[in-house]
Amino acid sequence: MRFFCSGACLEQRLETGPSTCNTRLAMMDSFSKDSFAHPVDEKILLAFENTWHGLGQPGTWWTGKQRLAIVEASRLAMAAGQRPIGTAIPALSNIDQTDAGGVSDLVLEVIQRVTAESGRITGVWAAEAIDLMGPGLYAELVALVVLTVPIDIFCGLLGRPRQPLPMVVAGETVGEAPEGVAEGGAYIPWLVDGWKGPNVARALSYVPADNARRMAMVSSMYDGEEFYEMVWRHRSLSRPQIELIAARTSALNECFY
Amino acid sequence: MLLRESSNALDQVVDLVGTIRGDVDSGVPHGELLAAYAEAAHDNPETARQLDGRMLAEVGPGGLVDAAATVAIFNGLVRSADAIGIPLDKHVMERTDDERETLGLNDFSGSANSGSDI
Repeated sequence: MRFFCSGACLEQRLETGPSTCNTRLAMMDSFSKDSFAHPVDEKILLAFENTWHGLGQPGTWWTGKQRLAIVEASRLAMAAGQRPIGTAIPALSNIDQTDAGGVSDLVLEVIQRVTAESGRITGVWAAEAIDLMGPGLYAELVALVVLTVPIDIFCGLLGRPRQPLPMVVAGETVGEAPEGVAEGGAYIPWLVDGWKGPNVARALSYVPADNARRMAMVSSMYDGEEFYEMVWRHRSLSRPQIELIAARTSALNECFY
Repeated sequence: MLLRESSNALDQVVDLVGTIRGDVDSGVPHGELLAAYAEAAHDNPETARQLDGRMLAEVGPGGLVDAAATVAIFNGLVRSADAIGIPLDKHVMERTDDERETLGLNDFSGSANSGSDI
């Protein structure tokens, strides 16, 4: 049987025997090799599996039930796409913040913007959203969107049906900011003391378990931990071919970073 | 730009304008097809899948999976950058002055979210 970490210890690797990590859980194989028409690297499948397993668990700030409600709303927003220019959108401060058993209208609006209209996000908008929601809830919402959108797109591009959402796992949220985060130039606090990596790697360090899952996906789907190597041999495509696709995708999304 | 540096490492000459304009040949092997795939995927997965036959013939199943993975993960990364306001890393900002100007990247809507962390 294969095992993987639930995310709490921030490890993600295949294990073939007993583990000393008490958060390691049996892999469910939601993303089996056989579910894709073409061979998919096992590291990608493992990253997907780990991400999917974490969706229904209590997060740093949102409960498992709320996390799944956010993902469900994000999927709807992705399907609906951008609202036409000129659509009347109320100010965030005028949107109902009442949580009626799932997520509030305010949260739904933020999900819509992050999922389907991220190019329209401004510093002013983000500041208001973070002020109303708090940096923790905002960061974890963003994390859930950026964890699941790539998986759904990947499945769609390879003709695989979207993966059903996992079950809710009851439990308490962490409910506190991780050590070492502070204001540092992004919209939300992030790791600052002694940070030496690229900014993208600490972008969601306010929610460390989800950030670890996100970076595991980036590694498995993009650089394979060879970011600083200009010649890649771990992919079928060459690095210039990968970078061309990445640059074109970023340009189409008008992403500066 | 990692496209330029990785191409230099392979002694390949690329035109970075090809990253923002579909009518310009980037010089990357199979670049026209790969850029078209990225554009089609931006519309919707079904549009991109119409290119599966060409992709399989020209870059093989591994290339198709690589392309899908790249499109997919960068759709997450662009949302992270915009929603979190990730500042462009100092060393990247310093090394890409000319490219950003030439390609018009400073005019992208996302530039407001990812200004320099210098």
